[in-house]
Amino acid sequence: MTLTAILIVSAALFGIGLFGALSQKSFVMLMMGLELMLNGTLLATVGFWAFTLAGLPKGQLLAILIMAVMAVELAIGFALVVAVYRKRQADVTESLTTMKN
Amino acid sequence: MMTSILFYALSALAIWSGWRVFRVDSMIRATFALMVSFIAVGAIALLLSADYIGVATVFMMAVEMMVMGLFMIMFMMNPAGLNPMQMVHQYRFSIGAGVASFVGLSVAVLTTALPVSPLPPGGETLRDLGTELLGNSMLIFETAGVTLLATMVGAVVLSSASGRFGSGSQGAQPPGLTEGGAPAGRKVDAGSGHSHHGGGH
Amino acid sequence: MIVVLAILGLFAFLIASIWAAATLDAVCRGWIAGGGTVSPAFTPLRTAALWLSQQRLTTEAPDRLNALLSIAGYFALGLVGLALVPIGPDTTLIALPTSVVAWGACESLVVVVVFLHGWSPNAPLALIGAYRYVAIGLPIMLLSMFVLIAAALPAQSLDLRDIVTSQSSVWNVIRQPLGLPLFILLGLSLTLRGPFDYADSADLAGGTSVEASGPDRLGWQIARLVMLTGFSAVAASVFLGGYLGPVLPGPLWLAIKTLAIMTVVIGLSHLLARMPVARMMGLIWIGLLPLSFLDLILAGVLAL
Repeated sequence: MTLTAILIVSAALFGIGLFGALSQKSFVMLMMGLELMLNGTLLATVGFWAFTLAGLPKGQLLAILIMAVMAVELAIGFALVVAVYRKRQADVTESLTTMKN
Repeated sequence: MMTSILFYALSALAIWSGWRVFRVDSMIRATFALMVSFIAVGAIALLLSADYIGVATVFMMAVEMMVMGLFMIMFMMNPAGLNPMQMVHQYRFSIGAGVASFVGLSVAVLTTALPVSPLPPGGETLRDLGTELLGNSMLIFETAGVTLLATMVGAVVLSSASGRFGSGSQGAQPPGLTEGGAPAGRKVDAGSGHSHHGGGH
Repeated sequence: MIVVLAILGLFAFLIASIWAAATLDAVCRGWIAGGGTVSPAFTPLRTAALWLSQQRLTTEAPDRLNALLSIAGYFALGLVGLALVPIGPDTTLIALPTSVVAWGACESLVVVVVFLHGWSPNAPLALIGAYRYVAIGLPIMLLSMFVLIAAALPAQSLDLRDIVTSQSSVWNVIRQPLGLPLFILLGLSLTLRGPFDYADSADLAGGTSVEASGPDRLGWQIARLVMLTGFSAVAASVFLGGYLGPVLPGPLWLAIKTLAIMTVVIGLSHLLARMPVARMMGLIWIGLLPLSFLDLILAGVLAL
C-alpha cells in the first residue's frame, strides 16, 4: 500500500464519477456521479493525510469537511429535484431549458 | 503484507462497485452499489488508521444512500429496471472526459515525487482530531455546522409544498412529450389526481 | 487460541439466546392469548422445521440477490454488534478505538437491509413496510446517537472497552437514567418489534416478510433474533457495566445482563401498542429527541 496506489484508485473513482455525472440524464443519477467524485476526493485526502502530513490533524479536518460537502450537496440537490418536479413533473436534465419559474 | 492484500481487494471493490453504479438497470442496485463503494473507501481509511473518518464514512453514507434510494423510487420511471431503457446523453464525450481525467490524474501522480513522511505508529489519531475540531479549527468546524443548518432550512424552503409566493405548484407546466409539443402529464391547476410521468424523451 | 475460544463461546451463547428469545416470544404470545402454550420450549423448533420443509414461493420478478443480501446482512450486523462487545478487560473480537461509532454504522445499515428486504419481493405491502420503516428507523437512530455519545462522555472515549471500564464504580444506567430507556426503544426498532415494528407488522399482513416463505422466512426470523442478541449485548455493555461484576467470571456476567435486557425488550414488544406512523413521527421528533438532548446535557454537566 503506497500513496501512489491510493491516489490512482482515487483517480479511477473520480473518473468514473465524472463519466456518470456527465452522461446521466436523470437528476438523481447525476448526483450519484457527483457523490462518486467526492468519494475519490475523500480517499485522496485520507491518503495524503496518512502518508505526507505525519498525522497532522488538519488533514482529518479536511476529510470531515468533504463529508459535510456531500451532505449539503445531497440535501440541496434533492430539494431542487423536488421543486423542479413540482413545477414541471420533470426528472431529467433535458426538460430544463429555462431557469424561469 | 496482509494490509496490502486487504488494500488491493478493497480498492478493487470500490472501483468495481463504483462502475456498477452506472451499468446496472435497477436503481436500487445502483444506489447500494455506490454505498458499497463508500464502505470500501471507509475500510481503506481504517487501514490507514483514520479510525474516526473510516467508520463515520460508513455511518453517513448508509444513511445518505438510504435517502437516495427513496428518491430513486419516487422519481424514476423504472426504478427496478424491469424494462430496459437508456437514460444517457453525450455518451462518448462523457467516456472521454472520464478516461481523460483518470489518465491525467494518474500521470500527474506517477510523475510527481510525492513527499513521504508517514504517520507515526501508535498515534492517537482520534484524540488529535477531537482537539483539533474543538481547538485550533473550531471556527471552521462551527462554520461547517452553521452551513449544515442553513442547508436544512434551504432544503425545506425549496421543497415545501407551500412555496414562498403561494402554492409551490402554482403555474406548474410539465414539459412536452415531443420537442415543443403539448404539456404532458397531469394538469396541476385542474387538480386531477392522475399523476402521469412526462419524462420528456 | 484464546480468540478461537472466544468465537466458540460467542456462537454457543448466540444459539442459546436465540432459542431462549424464541421461547420467550412463544410464552408471551400464549400468555396474551390467555390459553398458555403447550411446551413453549419446543415451539420455536417446530416452527423452524415447518418453515424449512415449506416450499419457497416467489413473486413475479423478485430481486433475488438483494433478498439474500438483506438476510445475510441483517445476520452479519447482529454478529458485528456482538463482536464489538468486550468480554473482559481489553478483550474483544473487533478491537476498534471507535467501536461506539461502528455500532452506530451497524444501526444505520440495519435500516438499509430492512429496506432491501421489503424492496426485493416486488410486492406492494412489502414495499410499504420498507418505506414506513425507513421513515421511523432514521429518526430513532438519531436518538441513539445522542444517547451513546452521552455514555461515551464519562469514559472520555469512543471505545466500548473504555466505556465499560468507566462504569466500575457506578453503572451508566444510574448515572444517566434517561439513557437506557431511550436506547431500548431503539432496540425495539432495530429488531422490528412491538411499538416500533413498522416493517413486519400485522397491519400489513407481515410487511416486508409478507412474501417470504420457506427457508427465507426462517433466515429472516433468525437474523432478527441475532440482531436482538447483538443489541442486548451492546446495551448491557454501555449501560449495565458489561462484564463487570463480583464473584462470577466476566463473560457470565455479560451473558446474564444481555439476557436481562433481552427479556425486557421482548416483554415491551408484547405489551406496548403500536401507534400510527404519523403520530410516532411526532412523538420521536417532538418528545423523544429533546429527551435525548437532555440526557446528553446532563451527562455533559456531570462529566465536567
